[in-house]
Amino acid sequence: MTQFSPSLEPEARLARLARQLDRERQARAQAEAIAEKGLRDLYENQQWLALLQRVTDGANRSTRLTDAMRMALEEICAKTGWAFGNALLVSEEGTLAVGADIWFAEGEGSLLPFVEATRTIAVGPGEGMAGDVLSRGQASWHLDLANEAGCERCTLAVQSGFTAGFAIPVLIRSELVAILEFFSRTPIRVDEQMQSTLHQIGVQLGYVAERERNRAALLHEARHDALTGLGNRKHLAELAAGALTRHWQTGSRLALLAIDLDGFKAINDSLGHHAGDTVLVATARRLERCIGQVLRPLQDRGSSLPLVARVGGDEFVVLVEDAPSADFLNHFAENLHEVLAQPINVDGGQAELAAAIGIAVCIRDRPTIDQLLRDADLAMYEAKSRGRSQTVIFSSELGEATRQRRILEAELKEAIHKCQFVLHYQPIVALDDGHHVVGYEALVRWQHPSKGLLHPGEFIEIAEECGLITFLGGWILEEACRAAARLAELYPRKPLRFISVNVAAPQFLASNFADRVRKTLMRTGVTPEQIRLEITESVAIADPDRTAAVLQQVREWGVQTSLDDFGTGYSSLSYLKQLPFDTLKIDRSFVNDLQSDKSQSIVQAIMDLARSIDLKVVAEGIETAGQGDTLAKLGCGYAQGYWFGRPSPENEAFAS
Amino acid sequence: MKGVIFNLLEEVVTRQMGTDAWGELVDAAGVSGVYTSLGSYDDAEVLALVETAAVSLNQSPGDILRWFGRSALPLLAERYPVFFEDHKNARTFILSVNDIIHPEVRKLYSGAGCPHFHFEDAADGRLLVGYRSARQMCQLAHGFVEGASGHFGQEVEVEHLQCMLKGDPMCRLALAWNA
Repeated sequence: MTQFSPSLEPEARLARLARQLDRERQARAQAEAIAEKGLRDLYENQQWLALLQRVTDGANRSTRLTDAMRMALEEICAKTGWAFGNALLVSEEGTLAVGADIWFAEGEGSLLPFVEATRTIAVGPGEGMAGDVLSRGQASWHLDLANEAGCERCTLAVQSGFTAGFAIPVLIRSELVAILEFFSRTPIRVDEQMQSTLHQIGVQLGYVAERERNRAALLHEARHDALTGLGNRKHLAELAAGALTRHWQTGSRLALLAIDLDGFKAINDSLGHHAGDTVLVATARRLERCIGQVLRPLQDRGSSLPLVARVGGDEFVVLVEDAPSADFLNHFAENLHEVLAQPINVDGGQAELAAAIGIAVCIRDRPTIDQLLRDADLAMYEAKSRGRSQTVIFSSELGEATRQRRILEAELKEAIHKCQFVLHYQPIVALDDGHHVVGYEALVRWQHPSKGLLHPGEFIEIAEECGLITFLGGWILEEACRAAARLAELYPRKPLRFISVNVAAPQFLASNFADRVRKTLMRTGVTPEQIRLEITESVAIADPDRTAAVLQQVREWGVQTSLDDFGTGYSSLSYLKQLPFDTLKIDRSFVNDLQSDKSQSIVQAIMDLARSIDLKVVAEGIETAGQGDTLAKLGCGYAQGYWFGRPSPENEAFAS
Repeated sequence: MKGVIFNLLEEVVTRQMGTDAWGELVDAAGVSGVYTSLGSYDDAEVLALVETAAVSLNQSPGDILRWFGRSALPLLAERYPVFFEDHKNARTFILSVNDIIHPEVRKLYSGAGCPHFHFEDAADGRLLVGYRSARQMCQLAHGFVEGASGHFGQEVEVEHLQCMLKGDPMCRLALAWNA
């Protein structure tokens, strides 16, 4: 390669070197400028990334959107130097953004008017920059506030020394849930990194909002009944705990209403679960409406809202704080009855229900919520027992009665276990000249360890309610059969004396009743003709076809049947003809009243009927010789009562 | 000291004293002369350059620093116009030094030790600038103030109320603009 400029003079060469040097210097300056820009961009990126990192960390730690937004506003303003940041929450329908009172202001004093105008501002779509985000769901930039037209707050912003502002969305996917807005006193230079970081911050905050929403949904689910949307027992317990604390602190009256739907089970069974669900939902809405219309307006302003909860299948509870008086509560309960008694349209027709309402009022003492609920339940059961659409307010007497009953229940269980029962026998005599004994009615007695001998009136009802009656009835039947066998040995001359045994409703209605009777007969080896089963009129007519079938079955084995308490029910006489009874017992109320012509006519009519269908008649409760004579004259064949003999233990009763 | 100061000094010296002046100055001061705006260099090097210039021009180092500051400012305005854009006068520009210019410097040089200026309005309307620097370069600051005022077409009077060179705990300048 030849030399490029071989003959260059030193001076020219120097000049060329100087140019070369100058180019080198310029190249260096350019390299420095490029490097500086790179460094600056890198620094900026790092700063934005660090901001995003801090906000992301904070958001991950947050369970509430509001906390996360407060943190984000502070971090963003600290990094950028923007003097004011504000958060707005978007309404569920997405048509309104309302200042959440979450804001950050640098040098608050001078900004106070602007902060005041902003922190709880309500903005509609298109109104100002937040409104712009609301309508478009995208960031809204306002880099020259002084020249913004038609924005009220912009004017105030400019007066407060701001030159630029913008708002960014907080989204759960595409749903706008909140808006962050910022105002700066110095110009804002928008670049890609900043836009992307702010967008990412919006996304991170959206995650917090989504988590909070999911958590709230889970909590709501855990505290609410999915079918009716009402609070559940857990929710009630939580709210009631708060109400109780307030009650302790202020002495305000707190009341719990336990509401049970009579007839709900029947609807569920007959019309199906779908109809049942419809009824429950309709009931829930009615309760809410009634609370809103009746209860709420009567309460003091500022009282906590009454709560209605569904605590069981068809059981609802209303919690009322600041309940003014018992009258008030009764008035409210009346309204509830009225509303709940209206028919509900369901698929299969109309459902008619009635409510039983029990109220527990907590005035001075310090009960637990469980106690209150128990009291209300107790009052509700009492109301239920009094008939349809009844209300009972819990009282200490009711509580005491219940307590006694509970004790008795427990003792009764033990009594059955330890066999503390004994049968007494009252003679049944023929109303002929000799008044000779034809049989006995077996009557159960409880040999109570501390209270002595108790009569059926003191425990049969409880035994029925707590499901012990079938055990007791089984024992009575068996014992009576054994006694009848002994009786036959004692008086073998025919006709054998019989023993009448009362059969309780649940016992008779049990599907295996006839079978149990048969087994008892076999086990005890009694002559079946000696056993007379007494069924009350009300049990007999509940399902006449079944009654006829069961009675027919036991009669086939020779067992006799007797219709007890005749005349007290509502049965028409025609029913009686269809039922296979051997005997009917005239209720003692007619015997007591025998001196009246009316009672005599009734007894006469019963006699005529009995004769026409070939029934023997036993009159109960004869206490005087005159009553016996009258009944004999009216054609009554048999009688029992104190006049002929009181119930007494077996050895005594069978002695004569 | 940031390399950019050396680069500015080189440019000022070259522009005002000719192509060869900078090379002579570097040789005479016995400094390396290798300076890039991206680097940081020992303060002693800039002081050596200033001392050498002062001796050869028969001026005080303070005069040299002030001249340098005054002359460097237009070059800064060329290089970094963005810092000047938002200002209409020297006063607001000077007030933005702590908050805008220094953060920018730190973007380039992490951990750069920038002087912090304390600003105060004096009762007589002058702007008081308090300044503590281990390098005690209040004359350079003085020069920059004059240069900035010139950039905005203003004249400024600078009084050194206190100076660390005189044993005061800090340097304090009082600035008064004629318009």
